[in-house]
Amino acid sequence: MKKLLIFALFLLGLGWAISNFSGLATRGTYDSIVLDFKESLGKAQIEQEIQAIARQYQVTPHLNSAFSGSDNVYLIKGNGVLLNTLRHSHLARATEFIEPAYIYSIPEIISATPEPGSQGLTAPASAESPAIRPQIGAPNDPDYHKQWNFRAINIEAAWSETHGQGITIAVIDTGISPVPDLQQTQFVKGYDFVNDREDATDDNGHGTHVAGTIAQSTNNHLGVTGIAYEAKLMPLKVLSAEGGGTTADIAEAIKFAADNGADVINMSLGGGGESQLIKEAIDHAHRKGIVLVAAAGNANQNSASYPARYPRVIGVSALDAMGNKAPYSSFGAGVDISAPGGSTADGNVAGGILQNTLDPQTGHSLFAAFQGTSMAAPHVAGVAALVKATGVSNPDEVAEVMKQAALKVKDDGLNHFGSGKLDAAAAVKLATQGKITFRDFFRWLRDNGYLNPRFWIDGGAVALLPKLAMVLGSYLLAFLLRNYLPFTAPLAWGLVTGSSGLFFLRCISLFDAPQWPLRLLGSSIPELGGAIQGSSVLNPIFASVLVPVGLLALFWGHPRAKWFAIGSTLGVAACLLISALVSPTLVWLGEGMVARLFLLVNALLCFGLARLAVSDERRTA
Amino acid sequence: MSIQVKGTIDRQGFGPGTWALVTESGETYELHTVPDELKHAGLTVKVSGQVKKDVMTFAMIGPVLEVQGFEILNS
Repeated sequence: MKKLLIFALFLLGLGWAISNFSGLATRGTYDSIVLDFKESLGKAQIEQEIQAIARQYQVTPHLNSAFSGSDNVYLIKGNGVLLNTLRHSHLARATEFIEPAYIYSIPEIISATPEPGSQGLTAPASAESPAIRPQIGAPNDPDYHKQWNFRAINIEAAWSETHGQGITIAVIDTGISPVPDLQQTQFVKGYDFVNDREDATDDNGHGTHVAGTIAQSTNNHLGVTGIAYEAKLMPLKVLSAEGGGTTADIAEAIKFAADNGADVINMSLGGGGESQLIKEAIDHAHRKGIVLVAAAGNANQNSASYPARYPRVIGVSALDAMGNKAPYSSFGAGVDISAPGGSTADGNVAGGILQNTLDPQTGHSLFAAFQGTSMAAPHVAGVAALVKATGVSNPDEVAEVMKQAALKVKDDGLNHFGSGKLDAAAAVKLATQGKITFRDFFRWLRDNGYLNPRFWIDGGAVALLPKLAMVLGSYLLAFLLRNYLPFTAPLAWGLVTGSSGLFFLRCISLFDAPQWPLRLLGSSIPELGGAIQGSSVLNPIFASVLVPVGLLALFWGHPRAKWFAIGSTLGVAACLLISALVSPTLVWLGEGMVARLFLLVNALLCFGLARLAVSDERRTA
Repeated sequence: MSIQVKGTIDRQGFGPGTWALVTESGETYELHTVPDELKHAGLTVKVSGQVKKDVMTFAMIGPVLEVQGFEILNS
């Protein structure tokens, strides 16, 4: 009985679904009807039928094209009423079929031309504007060609996957004004924490510019483009017209964003000291799954400013149009990734980031090229929105996707670039593939509270495997001479000093402190040449047999220190050998065969020297 | 924290522009509540004011110095 009931319900549901299925046919539009006459009819009979139709229905039948004559396919102007009439007339017997001539078209791209006077400082247009459909290739915004910054992050390939639909990005800044090139961008309710009101329009121009990078209306035949242009913006004003705001307001804005459905928060601001209030707000937002992005700062200093340096905030340094660190950009501890921030030094407007904003003096719309880590952060926030739109929801995974997909910079001893240069296409691709692995053990350690947040751990600062190979290699060389060597502490220290140094120290930075002492301690003897300036390129004076010779000469008379010197010599041999195999890059000698040969020869010389020293030691003992 | 800083007024190109005070040793302060008399790049001045630790800015060029008094040394 139960089965029968279920079966009846199934049939009922199926019948309802079929009766409500509109079918593809009803979706199309048509203003013509196709008549396909049977081929068995003669030419003369078809001609008679055509003339009869023309008289009866006041239409002019015509062949669909020059190729339709042999198939007897005719078109007449008509609508649904005529279609029904024809299908029920005697023509039904004379034709193969009578059907609507559907009109197929490419979805129209909705264009927007700003209304005169639309640049006033009223509340942002609400979210009702129609969605802009994607198109393949470059967008139709006339000044897109000036956006070198978007080409630098491979935005077009990312756009073929997503435009950030369904994602909300909170812009914590000077507010956002509805300038013409934001007219088709969708907004959600924001707040002005400076003046305590709901209307969060901009009175400076900075926030509107930042918002433009994230979601400028795109494919609207106007101005420039934005990264996640189908995402929604949440304007949160915390900075006054002068450009400053209190940590209390910023913390409240972060909480507002977290509690009102934001997915990504962009903070192109920084400075001041540590604030427990902001830290708690950040933790609250992170718990709610929000990706937080902040600018590293424009003081060209070692260490990002707050809030970029807080754990769980992605700190962004700025690149110029050449892909170098922008001259003003802060770097070092707290920088997770780099993105275009531009440089307008010496009045080079083309080197800045171009977006639609407003003139703070007049309130009128203008397209302006700004520079700053303020401009770099929204690139990352926009790409974070794209990544989130592909379905990656965990903020740590979103960050990891962007970091792993970033274009790596090989020699980045001072951490100018974090994990690399932002690549939107690679990030979206990685996100859609869904193969994200947390490989950064050091950051995991930090995030899980094992280390004080005043330290910055850069897991990418050291290539771990070659370092381990160097230490093991030095022990292997020592093992070859085991008959001569006493495995004492000085020898062990020597092996480490020569081969790898206390390399994990290179991963640690202290905020606001010079980094070179830790780099020096974290370097092996061959690396000392570049330790102060933070270069990973070896200096041939240090990366050679010279220092081991000096150490042996210096400590030969000392009963314990000589073992340190011998250990160091073996360590240097291992280091040079591994460097020759893995990354033979030397100052003056380059990275080719000459460098490789130089390192190999010196590695052999070091091993030979150590062997000579221990055999001499044994003879004299 | 109230301090007195001697340096040169500079207009730095972040956002629509920011007033800065650059000391002889190269330290940069971001000036806030700047009186019109100080809004001239190149002025050598002595500014007294408070460093605002609880203020963040979009310029991010250095500590925020809220101007309370000033003396123009030369233009």
